[in-house]
Amino acid sequence: MNKALKYLYRLILIILLLAGAVFIDRTGLIEYLSDANEILYTAGLVWQHIKMVMVSMALATTIGLSVGILFTRPSLKRFSGVIMYIVGLGQAVPSLAVLAIAMSFLGIGFEAAVFALFIYSILPIARNTMAGIKSVPPWVIDAAKGMGMPGLQILLYVEIPNAMKVILTGFRVALVINIGTAALAFLIGAGGLGEHIFTGIDLMRPDKLLAGAIPTALLALLADYLCELLGFIIIPRGLRLTQEV
Amino acid sequence: MNIITFIMDNAEKCWSLTLDHISIVAFSISLAAIIGIPTGVIISHDKRLAQKIINIANIFMTIPSIALFGLMLPLLAIAGYGLGKVPAVIALVLYSQLPIIRNTYVGISNIPPELVETARGLGMGRWVRLKEIEIPLAMPVIIAGLRNAAVMNIGIAAIAAYIGAGGLGVFIQQGIARAYEDMILAGALLVAVLAIFIDCGMAYLEKILTPKGIKIAGDQRP
Amino acid sequence: MKTEIKRWALVSFFLLGMVVVSISCHKAVNDKKVIIGGKNFTEQYLLAEMGKNLMENNGFFVELKTGVGSSVIRQSLLKGQIDLYYEYTGTAYTVYYKQADPHMMTNRTRCYEWVKEADARKGLIWLESVPFNNSYTLMMREEDAERLGISSISDLSRYINKYPEKLLIGVNAEFWERPDGFKALMSHYGFTVPYNSIKKMESGLAYKALQEEHVSVSMGFETDGRIEAFGFINLKDDKSFFPVYNPAPVIRKKVLDKYPEIQKILEPIAEHLTTEEMRKLNAEVDIEKKQVEDVAANWLKRKNLL
Repeated sequence: MNKALKYLYRLILIILLLAGAVFIDRTGLIEYLSDANEILYTAGLVWQHIKMVMVSMALATTIGLSVGILFTRPSLKRFSGVIMYIVGLGQAVPSLAVLAIAMSFLGIGFEAAVFALFIYSILPIARNTMAGIKSVPPWVIDAAKGMGMPGLQILLYVEIPNAMKVILTGFRVALVINIGTAALAFLIGAGGLGEHIFTGIDLMRPDKLLAGAIPTALLALLADYLCELLGFIIIPRGLRLTQEV
Repeated sequence: MNIITFIMDNAEKCWSLTLDHISIVAFSISLAAIIGIPTGVIISHDKRLAQKIINIANIFMTIPSIALFGLMLPLLAIAGYGLGKVPAVIALVLYSQLPIIRNTYVGISNIPPELVETARGLGMGRWVRLKEIEIPLAMPVIIAGLRNAAVMNIGIAAIAAYIGAGGLGVFIQQGIARAYEDMILAGALLVAVLAIFIDCGMAYLEKILTPKGIKIAGDQRP
Repeated sequence: MKTEIKRWALVSFFLLGMVVVSISCHKAVNDKKVIIGGKNFTEQYLLAEMGKNLMENNGFFVELKTGVGSSVIRQSLLKGQIDLYYEYTGTAYTVYYKQADPHMMTNRTRCYEWVKEADARKGLIWLESVPFNNSYTLMMREEDAERLGISSISDLSRYINKYPEKLLIGVNAEFWERPDGFKALMSHYGFTVPYNSIKKMESGLAYKALQEEHVSVSMGFETDGRIEAFGFINLKDDKSFFPVYNPAPVIRKKVLDKYPEIQKILEPIAEHLTTEEMRKLNAEVDIEKKQVEDVAANWLKRKNLL
């Protein structure tokens, strides 16, 4: 019985993929992309998009990590709850609004978009850093203290590696959201793949829309996958195994 | 730079757009729950199927929201529903599936198997077990998923203004086009307030819907 | 057991409540309901609001679906998702019917009659057109234009052919692609702007971009109040590339047959709205930051139409 279900499931998947391919072809995406000029242009947009994401993620990671680490230090620990709450509130503001507000203060273009993306990406990173470090079992830290490790070493060699899985998840979530939000940056004059998407909506041209939507979605999926790979590399083997149990 | 003045001067428009926004989100969350919770329940007994379904839902959430909205346009134009609230609601429902399905699945599959065994031993049939044991026990996690989805939806629904769905995103859209800061800020503020309000509201719901026994026992769990 | 019933009652109430809220927010009186559409720039928002005010004054219930591009709104009209919107004669002529006869399109009456007849065959009726012409324009900052000695599009084309990389041009996607848009304009005037010098953005942003010197030349709408206020000049269309753009309400025949009075109701707009008036109203919204609804309603009241 189970086997029949499995085949049925596979059949449905194939039918869906075929339908999807036919649909995409009907929208004229293939013809659109066979124009070399358009491919170059789209590649340019992809590059613009990636630039925005990279710069804002770099900023967000450095500051997010620092904030996260800072507020789990014994002296500032009591503020961590408040900070987490404020940081959580920030996420309630829609991404579009953050972009628009950045534009009103910084003018249109790349800088405003990067700033807005940076603000939007700090939240998951900082929050997860704090949660991750807080969740390190206290007896591990005790053991480290007992071994005579100074504070900084405990941080670098015990706390962070143990929290790495959670921190990495935060980074991954932030990255995927960032790529998606960067698609809106076109609305404040910063270019990126959003250009194709909004052009497609404005002109009712599904081919342009897909030419923007599909690369963006692929970028996000790729980033998600790369983060998973990164996890394998960064997370110390011992932890990875125990956490899987 | 006077957001408050703006809101006061345009109270009527603020109110009608807020209602619009709420209606879109309420409708999509209800639909998403009706689809997602039963799905979560069904897959809670089949780990591999669960993985696949959660993966699919994950893919929907990874696709940038504006892309999903945009895709609805050509798809639904065939049926004559290209613009407006319908494509927005459909996209939002797809978007919300991940938190709802995942939380339902995690909630139900995390129920200690001893309890399920005991219930079976007591002679409870599948349905009764679901109703009396599994769902009440998983309730806090399920509501947490709904809460997550609701807050997310409120933010994403703002983007739906670009496909003619109305809502508070209209303030942001028009504000950008007219370089009218107060309007943008008013739109952002109203959406944020709405999100916080719904978040708190659902946190409260989470609290009162958690069976009393779990609340007590929950503190004793390792 | 009692607490259980209470709990389930609460949950069902909650879900029911949400459904009721969502439906009630949509509750519209079904008879005498008309949906008016509009594109995504100030003038269109104003025209739609004026139409809405006049019709509501006559007992109609009006829903607005505004803020989208030309292709989308046209599709919506054809598919019956909206009942009426203000379209421009030149747009219908060049974009929807892909015609390019300069004899037809530069004359107000001929253009109007042509599109009116063509659309009648599609079940769309063009009501009386409003006198002003809201043409696309190319704008530059006044100082720049003076400094570079550019006052017409021909001047611009000569300059760009000489120094192709020097000027950045701001357009929106629609203007770029349309047969009466930038790509075709370049070929009509015989110049090419390299891909990298074209900056695409939403039309509302283009004014800001020109003002903040992100671009040197930008697309614009002739009746926009910001042109004068921001110190821009319109480049002369000396080779008569652009058609005439007179707006007129385009309504689905079925709706007009059902409510023939709509024609009379909307006529006053056609009678009173001149280019000057339109520009002033646009400026009230874009420069003085007044609300579209207020500006539209106040104008109608001033003209004793409400």
